[in-house]
Amino acid sequence: MNFDLDENQELFRATVERFCGSGDIAARHGARRLPGAVDRARWNQLAELGLIGLAAPEADGGLGGSLLDCAVVAQAFGKGQAVEPWLECGFIPARLLAGSEHIAGVLAGQQLATLAFAEPRRRYAIGAVTTKVSTDRINGEKTFVLCGGAAELFIVSAEQDGCTKLFAVPCDAAGVEVRPYPVADGTMAAILTLRDVAVDAPLAVELDAVIDQARIMAAAEMTGLAQRLFDDTLAYVKTREQFGQPLGRFQVIQHRLVDAYAKLEAMQSAVWRGLLVPGSEAAAVKGFIAEEAIWVAQQAVQLHGGMGMTDELGIGHGLKRILLLSRLFGDPAAGIAAAAQAA
Amino acid sequence: MDIDFAPADIAFRDEVRAFLNAKLNARLREGAANTPSVFVEPDLTREWQAILNQQGWLATSWPQEYGGPGWTPVQKYIFEKECAIAGAPSLPVLGLKLVGPVICKFGTDEQKARFLPRILSGEDYWCQGYSEPGSGSDLAALKTKAERRGDTYVIDGTKLWTTHAHHANWIFALVRTDSTARKQQGISFLLIPMDQPGVTVTPIVTMANDHEVNQTFFDNAVTGLENRIGEEGQGWTIAKYLLENERGGSCAAPALLAELDRIEDFSRSEPSGVNGAMIHDSAFAQRLARLRLEAEAFEVTELRILAELVKGRPAGPQTSLVKLISANLRQAINVLALDLFAYEGLQLPLSRPLYGNEAPEPVGSRAAQLALPTYLNGRAWTIFGGTDEVQKTIIAKQVLGL
Repeated sequence: MNFDLDENQELFRATVERFCGSGDIAARHGARRLPGAVDRARWNQLAELGLIGLAAPEADGGLGGSLLDCAVVAQAFGKGQAVEPWLECGFIPARLLAGSEHIAGVLAGQQLATLAFAEPRRRYAIGAVTTKVSTDRINGEKTFVLCGGAAELFIVSAEQDGCTKLFAVPCDAAGVEVRPYPVADGTMAAILTLRDVAVDAPLAVELDAVIDQARIMAAAEMTGLAQRLFDDTLAYVKTREQFGQPLGRFQVIQHRLVDAYAKLEAMQSAVWRGLLVPGSEAAAVKGFIAEEAIWVAQQAVQLHGGMGMTDELGIGHGLKRILLLSRLFGDPAAGIAAAAQAA
Repeated sequence: MDIDFAPADIAFRDEVRAFLNAKLNARLREGAANTPSVFVEPDLTREWQAILNQQGWLATSWPQEYGGPGWTPVQKYIFEKECAIAGAPSLPVLGLKLVGPVICKFGTDEQKARFLPRILSGEDYWCQGYSEPGSGSDLAALKTKAERRGDTYVIDGTKLWTTHAHHANWIFALVRTDSTARKQQGISFLLIPMDQPGVTVTPIVTMANDHEVNQTFFDNAVTGLENRIGEEGQGWTIAKYLLENERGGSCAAPALLAELDRIEDFSRSEPSGVNGAMIHDSAFAQRLARLRLEAEAFEVTELRILAELVKGRPAGPQTSLVKLISANLRQAINVLALDLFAYEGLQLPLSRPLYGNEAPEPVGSRAAQLALPTYLNGRAWTIFGGTDEVQKTIIAKQVLGL
């Protein structure tokens, strides 16, 4: 038994830490004001560091990293409060496009790809129902397409012959309409409308398996984010003085932070358990971690007082990213329900 | 024991209802319902304020001689409850509910004559200068100082979280007039005009993308000696009176119950993703029911406090309990709304307002578009006007004797 990271994992974690830097708020705002709200120069840098390739098989020119390797990176992106959408435009496309002609451009950072799975009025359902492919044409509407306002390639789930399959759809294909809208973390999601868009054969990868992997990555990123918010809050209550002493001298604050610390330990354990114990229910792991992460983030806001409410600190940005991840592929209640069903 | 209003009060309620039916127009209702921040923008409140002022129902917490309607506490409660149920916009509370009552109680005749009518007419729009970067919960640690020079005070320092300072032409502020006195005793309560070179307002945008609060800087700003309320050094006493008013306003439950009704309505059409609507999702329905039980109990708690007020017993530390319950209930309700709308609840519009022709187009519904900014701004409920931690300390000391 050993819970240490190996040499490569330490290396990747350090690489992500360096890439994220101190999480400067002005730089964050700057990136969000760019077209599509993604800084493509930074994205290319991220690709050059092999951080997208890590998630792809060696046969496709990737590094063939394990899920554990990828989770270490996801958590580091969370802790570094990355502005870059590594999970949605890096990990997920790298997994879904395995063996496809599109993967090279995605791994190189030249092409931004994203998964379009959610359909209007179907809550958190994964399988495609209203988006359909027949005779090599795709029709339907997708919503909550993360970074859809920036992506060049959509990986669209659609029903074909009674099954959910995945199809690659370039953003400039005839019949594609993209309506971007801003979401919690400041990125531009999109509603994607497809009218008789020509598609090739479906991708070889199965969606459900990758979504479970992505749930673990989201859980790891939330764990990293919660750690970051906890660290920042701990530092704040040690220096912020009210009533003639640091906030951290008040017992109510001490106990609150101990509760947060205990939750963080549980979150880390749940991430490792989800990766190391065969048969773990990914939706349940994510649901549990999401609930704890939201609690930690809300306390981080509360203990920062008014400052925690502003757009000027990373605290609110962390809360918003956690909220988005907590609901991606199902909210905490859906995750806990999955656990109940699996038991 | 009984829980019913007297027949005369029920007649009054009907009168208020008829008035609201007639006067609360669609624009005002839409604006109020689609404001995700705590305060409603002045373009809406001015219109509603003028309508109420004409009726003589505006300054409900002022004595009749200064323009109050002369209502009993029960009538005040009924009016606020009916306004909440009807979805009326909130009013500019900083003038009407905070500085107004202070001027009524502590102001000179000249101050009353000068300021009170202009609050009623909407000519003056007030903001509040209490917190500072170094003094939040510990308000008495404030450092902004005012120095007497001739017949003026010269003010230097900065105030934080000055709500709507970018709309206001006056600020009421706690300032230090004596740095040698003990913490609370060197503080005075000044009224300062905003339109002068020594006052600068810089916006603070919330994590929900709303511009509601600001930081206000005083750099050799001036105000006349005649604009001090009460004596020099009496500021803390006045501030406590005002904070009790801020924490009072004890008709919070009806708005919370109305919000739960709205959520229930939406949950009848919002799909569960499995089969049917969200109202048939048992986990969701149970959370809704649980929150309604809390809000219903809270409504009766407020009525019990009201009954004490009617007997002439002051509310006292009960106001802390009310603030604590309402803030936490509101936040829990905001989370429920967020959960209801699933992915659509994660949209976060960049521009404001979310009503009228300029509003950005929502994904799904307007209610879904409001869920996240309302939740995010709503995190402030347990912070402003005394944090949860401060309220609990007050209750522990003053109620429980700990």
